This record gives sequence, C-alpha cells and structure tokens, in this order.
Amino acid sequence: MKTIFNIYIRELKQCIEDLGVMVFLIVVPIGYPLLYTYIYSQEVVHDIPVTVCDLSNSSISRCFLQKCDATPEIAIVSLCTDMLSARKQMKEDKAKGIIYIPEEFANNIQSNIQAHVSIYCSMASLFYYKAILVACTEVSLSMNSNIQIAQLGGLTEREDEIYTTPLQHVAVGIANPTAGFANFIIPAILVLILQQTLLLGVGMRMGTDREHHRPALRYKTSSALAYIIGRGFAYLTIYMPVTAYILCIVPAIFNLSQLSHAQTLAMFMLPYLLACIYFAITLGHFIRNRETSMLMFVFTSIPFLFLSGISWPGSSIPIFWKYVSYLLPSTPGINGFVAINETGAPLFDVLFEYRLLWLQTAFYFITATVLTRRKNRKRKIQLLAQ
Amino acid sequence: MRNRQSTNNRFRTLLHRELRILFSRPLYIFCCVIAPLGTFILFATLMNDGLPTELPIAVVDADNTSTTRKIARNLDAMQQIDIISRYADILRATEAMRRGEIYAFYYFPQGTTADLLANRQPTISFYMNYSYLVAGSLTYRDMYITSLLANASVGRATMLAKGASLQQATTFLQPIVIETHAIGNPWLNYSIYLNNTLYPGVLSLLIFLLTTYSITSEIKFGTAKQWIKEADDNIVIALVSKLLPQTILFALMAIFYNIFLYKFLHFPIHDGIYSMIIASLLMVIASQSFGIFLSGLLPSPRWAMSIASLWGVVSFSISGFSFPIEGMSGSIQALTNLFPLRHYFMIYCNQALLGYPIAEVLIHYAALITFCLLSIIVLPRLKRALKSYSYIE
Repeated sequence: MKTIFNIYIRELKQCIEDLGVMVFLIVVPIGYPLLYTYIYSQEVVHDIPVTVCDLSNSSISRCFLQKCDATPEIAIVSLCTDMLSARKQMKEDKAKGIIYIPEEFANNIQSNIQAHVSIYCSMASLFYYKAILVACTEVSLSMNSNIQIAQLGGLTEREDEIYTTPLQHVAVGIANPTAGFANFIIPAILVLILQQTLLLGVGMRMGTDREHHRPALRYKTSSALAYIIGRGFAYLTIYMPVTAYILCIVPAIFNLSQLSHAQTLAMFMLPYLLACIYFAITLGHFIRNRETSMLMFVFTSIPFLFLSGISWPGSSIPIFWKYVSYLLPSTPGINGFVAINETGAPLFDVLFEYRLLWLQTAFYFITATVLTRRKNRKRKIQLLAQ
Repeated sequence: MRNRQSTNNRFRTLLHRELRILFSRPLYIFCCVIAPLGTFILFATLMNDGLPTELPIAVVDADNTSTTRKIARNLDAMQQIDIISRYADILRATEAMRRGEIYAFYYFPQGTTADLLANRQPTISFYMNYSYLVAGSLTYRDMYITSLLANASVGRATMLAKGASLQQATTFLQPIVIETHAIGNPWLNYSIYLNNTLYPGVLSLLIFLLTTYSITSEIKFGTAKQWIKEADDNIVIALVSKLLPQTILFALMAIFYNIFLYKFLHFPIHDGIYSMIIASLLMVIASQSFGIFLSGLLPSPRWAMSIASLWGVVSFSISGFSFPIEGMSGSIQALTNLFPLRHYFMIYCNQALLGYPIAEVLIHYAALITFCLLSIIVLPRLKRALKSYSYIE
C-alpha cells in the first residue's frame, strides 16, 4: 500500500516537473477543444451562393427564384442568360451551384404538363448539394400546393389544405435538433482528445524513462502490480479535473447540448479514463524516446475518429474493423458519451458501452502489468550481469 | 571541378549516414510506409459501400392497418433504410435510439387510416438521431420521401377515382419537378468525398512530424554538430541528404495512393492522373519544407513537433473538405490559406473532381510552391541552431 502511494506521488511529481508531458496532459486538452469548437461554432452553412439561368423569365419562374433566394440555405448571387456563363460563374468559384429553368417552364405549368427545374451542384462539399437540394425542394413543394389549390377551386381553405396534403408529416430531430455540425462532431472530438492526449503524455513519460534507462522498478519491494496501480492513479488524478473541464465546461462555453446527468456522466467516464490510461501504458511500452510518442500516435486520431462510427455510421462499418474498433476505448467512450450527453440516456441505456469499457480496463490493466513485469525482469538480468 | 567532386563525396557519405539511421529502427519505416499504407487501406475498406445503406431504423405502428403497413413496406424498400424492429410505443423506440440500436424511427399514431379516409388530415411523424449526422440525414431523406409518396398516393387514388388519367393525376400532384445533378460525384459516394483529401492529409501530417523529428533529434542526441560538419558547414547539403530518402519514400506513397484511387478504385478524375500526381508530389515537398521551417523556427524537438502536430491535425478541419469553410468565421477562413492541405483540396476539387481548367487553380499551385520555398528563410537560423543549441528536456 505504501509503495503504491510512493509510486503515485513520484509519478505525479515527475509529470508536473516535465514541461513536455504537461503540454500534453494540460495545455492541449485545454486549448484544442476551444480551437475546434471555434472552427465549427457556426454549426450550419447559410446562404450558399448560387447562380441562376432563367430561360423562362416568367412571373412564375421569378416567383420560384425569389422563394429560393429567401430560404436560409441558399442565396442567388447572379443571373446568367445562358448555361455557358452560369458554368463560368461556377468555375470562378463565385457560385456553388446553378438553378436552370427551361424556356417552356411557365407554358408547361399553364397547360398542365409537368415542368422541370434542373439544379447543378458542386460536389466539392456535400453541404452545397444538401443546401441547394433542400431549398429548391421545399420551394417546389410549396409552389406545387399553390398550383393545385388554384386548379381545384375548393370551397374552403381547409378543403384546399386537405386536398393538397391529405397526410401530414412532422420530422423531429431527437438529439441535435438543428442538425448542426458542431453538435455532431465536437462531442466525439472531446472524448477522443482525452484518449489521444493520454496516449501522447503517457507515451512521452515512458519514453523519457526508457531514454534515461530508468527501470520501472525503483523500489526493491514494489511489484509490477503496485507500479501499475500507482501510476494509473496518478494519471487519473490529473485527468479528473481535465475531463470535467472538457466535457462540462467546454460545451457550456459554446452552448452545445448538455443533457447529461452529472452522476451518470461521472459513472461512465471513470471506466473510460481507466481504460484509456492502461491502454496508454500498454502502448507506451513500445515507445523508445520522448518524442516518438508523437510520431506514433498523433496521426491515429483520424482513423480512431472514423472507427468510432460517429461520422461513418457504425452499422456500415465492415465486421473486421468493427472488432478492431472494440479494442479502442474511444469507440465505446464516444458512443456512450454521445448517448448520455445528447439524448440524456441513463447508464442503463449505455450498458453495452459501459461493460465494454470495464472489459477494456481489465484487459489493458493485465497487458500493462505483464509488459512491466517483463521489462523489470529484463532489467534485473541486466543488473545481475553487470 | 574538385569542389564539385568533394560536394558529391560529402553528399554520398551523408546519404549513407541517413540510410543507416533510416533502417536502424523500425520507427522510420513505420512512419514512411506502414502508417500511411495502413490508413489508406483502413479508409478504403471502411467506406467501401460508398454511401451507407441499410441503416437500422424502427417503426412504431399504433394504427396497424393495411394502409400503414403498406407505407412501412415502402419505407423498408428504400435503399438507405432497413427496418430492424417494431415497437409498441414511442417510449420503447426512444430507448432503442438512445442505446444506439437504431438511428431513427417512423411513427403512425392510432387512427391514421380512419382519419385519412374521413379527410381529417392525420399527421405521421418521424424522429432522427442527429448526433449521428450522416446517418440522421440519410434516414431523414428516405423517410421524408416515403411520406411525400404516401401523400401523393392518397391524392392519386382520389384523382383516379374522380376519373382523371394517370398522366393528369401525376401532373396535378407534382406540377414542378426538381432534377438534381450532382457534378463530379453523382453517386454521393462518401469514399470519393472524403478519401481524396484524407489520404494526402494523413501523409502530410506524418511528413510534418517525421521531418521535424529527423532534424531536431540531431540536436537532441547531440549529433547535430557532427552532422553539419560532415556537410562541410553547408546546410543545404545536410538537409537534402537527410530528407531525400524520406522524400523518395513519401513520394512513392503519394504515387501509390493516386494509382490506388484513380486507377484501381476508379474515382472520378477529369484531367488525368498525372496532374494529381504532380499536385501530390508538390504537397509532399511542401510538407517537408514546412517541417524544416518549423524546425528552424523552434529548434527543439518538443516545440517543433508539437506545432507540427497541431498544424497537421487542424488541417483536416480547416481545409474545408468535411465542413465547408463558408460556414466558418471570417478569421478562420483567412487562416485556411496557411495550411498546405487546403490548397491541395482546392486543386483536387477544381481540377480533378469538377474538371475546370488549370488556370482556375494556379493560385493554389503557387501557394504550394511558396510552401516549398518557405524553408529557405529559416536556413541561416537553423544552421546556427544546429551548431550551437544544446538540448533541454
């Protein structure tokens, strides 16, 4: 018990004294979330510039365009007389899409023939496509009803309403109701930052130890087990306030959704942090120098984020990668946190993730202990040989 | 003549020294070959479907008539959706959604059919979990279309009953039709959308880190003085001999991913693979040069590599390939120019994806070349640092 405490104090001291480690354990977790949230703080894209080629040039086509321009999604920036000049606008990056209204548009509507409007969107971003499509579809639906009402000549307004939409529908976003980008990606990034900074910080600590040929075993009486427990608690002590800041204060600063119950969140984050810590200690055994942890771990953030199933849906991840993703604490961590934070799920609803995290904690605890013990034994043999 | 020969000799000895370092430990090969190849394969296989299909959703059918069941069957037939379960009430469905089993559910309240027949305009509703934005948006689209179609089929039945022809009914129900043309990626393929920029992004991140590490670790291990001495005090020879083997490996990776994306996966490319290979190679050298720039600016492994990580990781968000920069604040939009990946992304979009003439992206080529030349301004400082700095942990 005493050795565990000694190791704990010693590790805390070494972390605090090492500026490089502190950068990863404190500065990065404080700075990165702010930067990321600031980048995405506007959530949605408004007023995508669109150019128009209106060959019909009738009151009804102008009405269509005015309504499109009035939508929040797109803004009409120019009128072109032909498609060639409209294309030129796109090439010069002045517009992200074209709305093309053919010559016969108004005639067709008047003579009860389906009229077509073509939209062309740059696929440089799916957001352009979505914005232009949504805006034009909504406008066409509302105009369709108006045209139908004019043709029907119903007796009452209610009758018109029922004729044009016999079956109404309501779409409700249960979590992230504005379908904003920040509310979607930021929670995942926040949870991932915890794991990645631990990988980097712990990796750097262990690389430094190895560089200085500091054996893991400093106390004659201490075993690998005490060493692992003491170290784990040291990182946990540093990371509890960091986690509270990242998961509670950062979303509050940027007005992101926060539906979590404090108790549930705390209960869930404990195994997440432990799993991350022992995951980091296990991987740290493969780090030889202080700086190599950066070479090995920084780039993994991108694949880890995709493997979590937050952006590319988990149901579409191939089975092999699905199992690989279960080896990472970030996968259950992100999905569980998103459920707790965005939909207000109680612990019972994230039981799968919760259990997986404890399982990972146990697994990585064992691997970390085994690796430490092996290293100690090797060191002992070296010492004896000297 | 003698001078040139001695330069050649120095270059050769230094190159030998670098190759020894390169193969002395698995780290370098990991960063140059294994890590990029691994990520390429991961992303390509992960997004093999192109567009996610069969996303799990549920139906809550409190009405349970032949009409609602028919709508549910239509819904199930949509490509992006797969109805995996049916729940008795909304509460159960919401729970399943919280557990992450379904991304959305569709709800028919009791009496939907009766209200429909009696012209009482019933309301059906659907619920999406937008914390999974892609899955939420895709399920929304299919549920929305199904609802419109259900609406139209009621209207059509009424019209046909009144003696209208099918064409009359169709025109009446949809006087204006929107035809969408997604230029460059008509399949809305996410693999095309993301991988074309993820690949160079990962590569450039690794280049930033490895370049700064290779240079600053000379200071750290106290070999910098010997290194610069062997190069006869010539910083250019020292750097070129150090980074050339890495340039070759990274260039091979860049050529590999271009062939993989455009020849093997047949991703759309308008202007031939060579222009993208040239852009990728420029990107490799620009990233290396940026790494030299950082090492010269902050000649300590920790600081140079920390900034390299920051720059490399932020590139992914700020280059605008996942979320367009039009949606970011003005100051961030201006900052995007400082990231090589942004320029690569613009070149890719305009030239390869949309097929615009090269003149439209010359400015971005110029920007990449500027990045390539950026290192020159720090060379004197870097040389001083290599000769005099000692390592502080």
